[in-house]
Amino acid sequence: MELVQILVNGLMAGTLLAIPAIGFTTIFAVLRFPNFAVGGLMAIGAYTGLVANTMGGLPLLATLPIAFMVAGLIGVGSDKLMISGLRPSGPLAAAIGTIALGLLLENALRFVFGNEFRTFNIPPVRDWRFGDLRVPPHQVENATYALVIMAVLFCFLMFTRSGKMMRAVADNPALAGLKGINAVRTTDMATFLGMGLAGIGGVLIGLDVAIDPLIGTRTMLAVFAAAVVGGLGSIPGAVLGAFIIGLGEELALLAVAPTYRTAVGFLAILLILSFRPRGLLGERRY
Amino acid sequence: MEARAVVCGYGAADEILKGADLAVAKGEMVAIVGPNGAGKSTLLKSIAGMLRLKSGAILFKDREIQDCSTRERAQIGIAFVPQEANIFPTMTVRENLEMGGFIAPGLVVERTQSIFARFPILAEKSKQQARTLSGGQRQILAMAMALMVDPELLLLDEPSAGLSPKAADALFDEIVAIHASGTSIAMVEQNAYEALMIADRGVVLVDGRSVRTGPARELAADREVRRLFLGA
Repeated sequence: MELVQILVNGLMAGTLLAIPAIGFTTIFAVLRFPNFAVGGLMAIGAYTGLVANTMGGLPLLATLPIAFMVAGLIGVGSDKLMISGLRPSGPLAAAIGTIALGLLLENALRFVFGNEFRTFNIPPVRDWRFGDLRVPPHQVENATYALVIMAVLFCFLMFTRSGKMMRAVADNPALAGLKGINAVRTTDMATFLGMGLAGIGGVLIGLDVAIDPLIGTRTMLAVFAAAVVGGLGSIPGAVLGAFIIGLGEELALLAVAPTYRTAVGFLAILLILSFRPRGLLGERRY
Repeated sequence: MEARAVVCGYGAADEILKGADLAVAKGEMVAIVGPNGAGKSTLLKSIAGMLRLKSGAILFKDREIQDCSTRERAQIGIAFVPQEANIFPTMTVRENLEMGGFIAPGLVVERTQSIFARFPILAEKSKQQARTLSGGQRQILAMAMALMVDPELLLLDEPSAGLSPKAADALFDEIVAIHASGTSIAMVEQNAYEALMIADRGVVLVDGRSVRTGPARELAADREVRRLFLGA
C-alpha cells in the first residue's frame, strides 16, 4: 500500500513540476538557450498568487491567470533589459545572464516580503481516504488545473497561427525567417509563454508547500532535470520527464532521507546525458 | 531580377562573391553552373536576403531591394528553396504548407488545395510529419512551400542534391512544369548538364564572378564548358 501511496504522490508532484518544465523547454526550443531565470519567475508567480489570494481575496483559480500575466510580462521585460543583449554572444553568456537575473528577482522578493514562509489562505480540508490511501483534495485540484493548462497549451501550439509560428521557429529558425515569420515577435511570445507557465507553476507548487523567495530555486533542479530527461525543447518530453522526476523523488524516500530527494534530479541528468544525451523524446542532438 | 556586381561573403573579411552578375527576365529559367566554391549558392542567398551585400545592387522589378529583409523580399514575390534544412521536420506536411504561405494567410486554404491537386503525394501524406518523407518527397514539399506564396521568382539551390536519378528526373519534370506556368526560376544545380537542358539560359560562375552567359543549350554543347564543369 505504501508503494501505491508513493506512486500517487509522485504522479501529483510530476503534474505540478510539468508546468514550469514546459515553460523552460518552450523557451529552450525557440531561443536555444537554457533560461535559468525560470526559478526566479516561479517565485514571482507564487508571490503574485499569494498577494492576489491573501490581500486581494481572490479565489485560487482566479490567481492563476494573474500569476501567468505578471510572470510573463516581467519575464519578457527583464529579458529585453538584461538577456537579449547577451544572446548574440552565444547561449552560454545568455544562460549565465539568466542565473544572475534569477538571483536579482529572488532578492527583490526578499527585499519586499522578507524571508519568512507564507501560505495561501485556503481552508483546511480532510484528506480523501481510500482504504489506507490518503489523497489531499487540494492536490487533486492542483493536478487538475495543471492538466487543463497542458491541454490548453497543446491546443494553442497545434491549432493557432501563433502556436504554429513558435513551432516553426523551434524546428528551423532560418527557414522560418525566409517564410516571413518575425523572429523577435516569436521569441518574445515564447518567453512570455514560458515565464507565464513558470509563474503558474510557482502558484501550484506554492499551494503544495509554503512560499518563500527560494521556492523557485529549490525546484529549479527538478525542473531542469525534467526538461533534460524528456529532451530539451520537447514539450511532451518535459511532461514525461516531470512525471519521471516526480515519481523518482517520491520513490527515493523508500531508500534515503527526504533531504536527499533532490539528488534524484542530479542522478537523472547524469544518467540521461551518459546514455541518451538528446533525452527521451528529444529531436535534436546537442 | 538583376544582380549587379554583387560582393558578399559570410564573414567580415570573407568575400565569396567578387562582383557577380545575374539577370533573370520575367518567365525565364536560368541555370547557374560553375565549380565547387564558385559562390553559386551564396549568390542565391544574397538575392533571397540571407546575406548582406558589401557592395553591388539587386534589382527586382526595377526597384533596389538589397536593403530589404527576407520577409519583405518574400512579400514582393521572391521565394528561396535552400538546399538543406528546407522543411519544418516535426510539423505535418499540411502545416509545412501553411508556414510556406505564412505571409498570405487568407489564401492558405485555397492554395493548399491547389498544391494537393498538383502534387498528389503531398495530399496523401498531408497528416504525416515532414521528417518521415523520402528525400525526393521532401524536395517536392520544399518547392511546394515556396509555391504557396505564388512567387514571381523562384530561387532553387541544388534541388536534386542527394536524390536518386529517378527522383531527380521526377523533380526536374516538376521544375519544368512550374516554369511552364510562368514562374521565373534561377537554379543552382550540381547536375549541371540536366539543369542546362531544361533552362532557357545558363550563367557560368567562377571564383565569385560571372564569366559567361548564353543560351543554356549552347553552353551545354560548348566544348570548354563541358570540359570544365560538365565532366565531359
